[in-house]
Amino acid sequence: MNQAEGVPSPAPARAGEIAFDRRAPGLVGIVVKGFLLSLITFSIYRFWYITNLRRYFWSRTVVAGSPAEYLGTGKELFLGFLVALAILVPIYILLFVIGLLSPILATLAAPISFIGLFVLGQYALFRGRRYRASRTRWRGIRLGQDGSGFAYAGLASLWWLGTIVSLGLAFPFMRAALERYRIDHTLVGQSRMRSTATGRSILMPWMMFYIVALLPILASVLALLAASGFDVPTDLLIQDPASEKSKLIFNPDYADTPLVYYAGAVGIAASVSIPLALLLIPYYRARETRTFLNAAHLGAARLNSSLKARQFYFPYLVYMLALIGFILVLGIILALLVPLIATNGENAGIHAFVIVSTVLLYLGAILGTNVLYVRIVSVRLWHAVATTMQIENLPALEAVLASTRAPASGLNEGLADALDVGGALEIGF
Amino acid sequence: MEAITTTGTFFDGISARPRPVTLRLTFRLDIVGEDVARDWSLLDLRAADAAAPLMRVNHAHGPESVEFADEAFAQALTARCPDLNRTEGGSGVTRLVLWSIAAGLSVLLTAIYGVPAASGLLAPLVPQAIEAQIGRSVDGQIVTLLDDPPLCNEAAGRAVLDRLTARLSEGMALPVAPQVSVRRHKIANALALPGGRVILLSDIIAKARNGDELAGILAHEFGHVAARDPMRSVITAGGTSFLLSLVLGDLTGSTVLVTVGQAAISAGYSRDAERAADAYAVAAVKRAGGDGAALAAILERITDADDEKPDGISFLRSHPFTAERAARIRSLAGEKPTGSGILSEAEWKSLQGLCPEPAKPEKTRPNDGKSPTPTEKL
Repeated sequence: MNQAEGVPSPAPARAGEIAFDRRAPGLVGIVVKGFLLSLITFSIYRFWYITNLRRYFWSRTVVAGSPAEYLGTGKELFLGFLVALAILVPIYILLFVIGLLSPILATLAAPISFIGLFVLGQYALFRGRRYRASRTRWRGIRLGQDGSGFAYAGLASLWWLGTIVSLGLAFPFMRAALERYRIDHTLVGQSRMRSTATGRSILMPWMMFYIVALLPILASVLALLAASGFDVPTDLLIQDPASEKSKLIFNPDYADTPLVYYAGAVGIAASVSIPLALLLIPYYRARETRTFLNAAHLGAARLNSSLKARQFYFPYLVYMLALIGFILVLGIILALLVPLIATNGENAGIHAFVIVSTVLLYLGAILGTNVLYVRIVSVRLWHAVATTMQIENLPALEAVLASTRAPASGLNEGLADALDVGGALEIGF
Repeated sequence: MEAITTTGTFFDGISARPRPVTLRLTFRLDIVGEDVARDWSLLDLRAADAAAPLMRVNHAHGPESVEFADEAFAQALTARCPDLNRTEGGSGVTRLVLWSIAAGLSVLLTAIYGVPAASGLLAPLVPQAIEAQIGRSVDGQIVTLLDDPPLCNEAAGRAVLDRLTARLSEGMALPVAPQVSVRRHKIANALALPGGRVILLSDIIAKARNGDELAGILAHEFGHVAARDPMRSVITAGGTSFLLSLVLGDLTGSTVLVTVGQAAISAGYSRDAERAADAYAVAAVKRAGGDGAALAAILERITDADDEKPDGISFLRSHPFTAERAARIRSLAGEKPTGSGILSEAEWKSLQGLCPEPAKPEKTRPNDGKSPTPTEKL
């Protein structure tokens, strides 16, 4: 009919395109509905909201002409969350009680719970990924993930330890090792994906980030430590006696020691490097995503990404501008409200009106930022990653067979939600 | 019925290989291609999510599916397939919303009524040793919140304070011997903490005109200790904040609601506790030979007049209005006894010297409701 090119040619294309419609019609409706229903259901609806978002993004991602399908349900996520709560609540209560009862253990409780929750968080991330993979279907073939969440958590913890010990130099190697573990345990039907990601391939972007953003802070902190004989006086920063607030100032007792120069250097390095670091994060993320995508393959089929760093900057830039405009609008509304309060402060009706409109404005502001974020950042990042990707040697992918493996249970992702580590939409999942 | 045809792609669900087919829609859906021939009932078709013009249709009983990109065909198919967009099990958003609201309300009601009731039952069961530990950590928190005010330990004043404490607590059935500490601070207030700890802030000694007034304040705090109010308050605050954060989840801005909700809840609970402690204080001061009504006098003195107007935030107040309290205290105290009061003139003088350095005693800042920590204030 209206399909001149829709007739599949007998010899299929060698390369598969991945398409995603950036205009995303209907997405704002999902976000508004999800936000408002989450609000009145004490945020229980969020599981169904996340599911709707994923269904939307998955189904609009068309891989080699066929849309992906998301098969998860809100109910699965909700049940998983309940089970995770049942596990986590006693742990939290235990930590709380320990902290309350024993001052000696209390000082240890914070680092112990941080480490414990970090390891648990890595475990939850891997398990959440398993759930998402097993709920993804393309051309009737389910994806899957095997491997052990505990092994992944152990691997991640050891690598993080190494990264900290090496002052951050091992970071790209950690990223590559974890990426290899994740991809090597990802299955499309019966076929296993493989990743040849190496730390060396992302060493350059990392070193650039490292030298500009981290090295000045590290160097100045080390210099400060060395100058003080690795024993920084605990009273280097004291509370400002002049003001009532607990504002920290430099202790004047140390004014004549060399410590003051090193401490000043730390301050300057931090004030320059932290904004630079924020600016460089999208660059590093884009380079890493591209490198890792290029390293992934399934048999003879390979991914080929031509992602540009500016495609990661642009969404954030647009988002910032949109936010500024949005805040201006809110400010104008607020400016109109303020005279009302000032002139008619005593009137009960006006009082109630002001309170109600402030609450509405507050909720509207959160809803607005949510819509802008999903509409601009999520959509554009997803679009950038998807559309710059190509599948080389598509026939190899078309040869994969479905697996008879049972899909993973919804309990897998509950822990991630309860620990707040699982993002609703993870680019490149 | 007229037949509509289009071209599409068939997937057998076993391999990812696309097979070009021709789709023909009549009362059934015919799928014909090279080595493919299917004849599907329209009742068995289920559409997957996809952006128009692309459409993906799964077979309800099996792994097979077809995809095509033809909007006219998609419309015809939608019109003829009753169950095309049926989801297994049904979504039932309305039911979900109603149940969620019911569940949330149930937890909220538990937080508002259940937790205070439960903490009243639990507080007496907490072993003394554990309560002492909790008291120690709460004490540390309070002191930090008050910007580390120094302890006042002038020997003569301390001795008088200890004698006063002993006399007041004599007839009281206190679970532990109270430990009173005095800290120099320009807020006129006193706090009772778990484990029988009582903190007096020095300005309240400066504001008191005689020993009976201070005894009234002290006895009021002992009243809280006797009723185990501080422990109850700690359990209530912990329980409600836990439940509220559970219910409100991680939705943005919920921390504000949690704090406000918690303050409102603990205010409702402590008004009764305050009245009970007032009655306790009057009885104890009378028993020790002092004027029970002196508590009313100092309460009125340290209360800022502006604080008393019932306004929008009055439900957040953790103390009954002073006028109402003072009237109750006076009616309980009855006639002023003839004696000179609990403390002699000399004892009262040395007690006033407990915090020697005059830390701006004239500056009146009876600032109530400042610290959000679970404590019993005056």
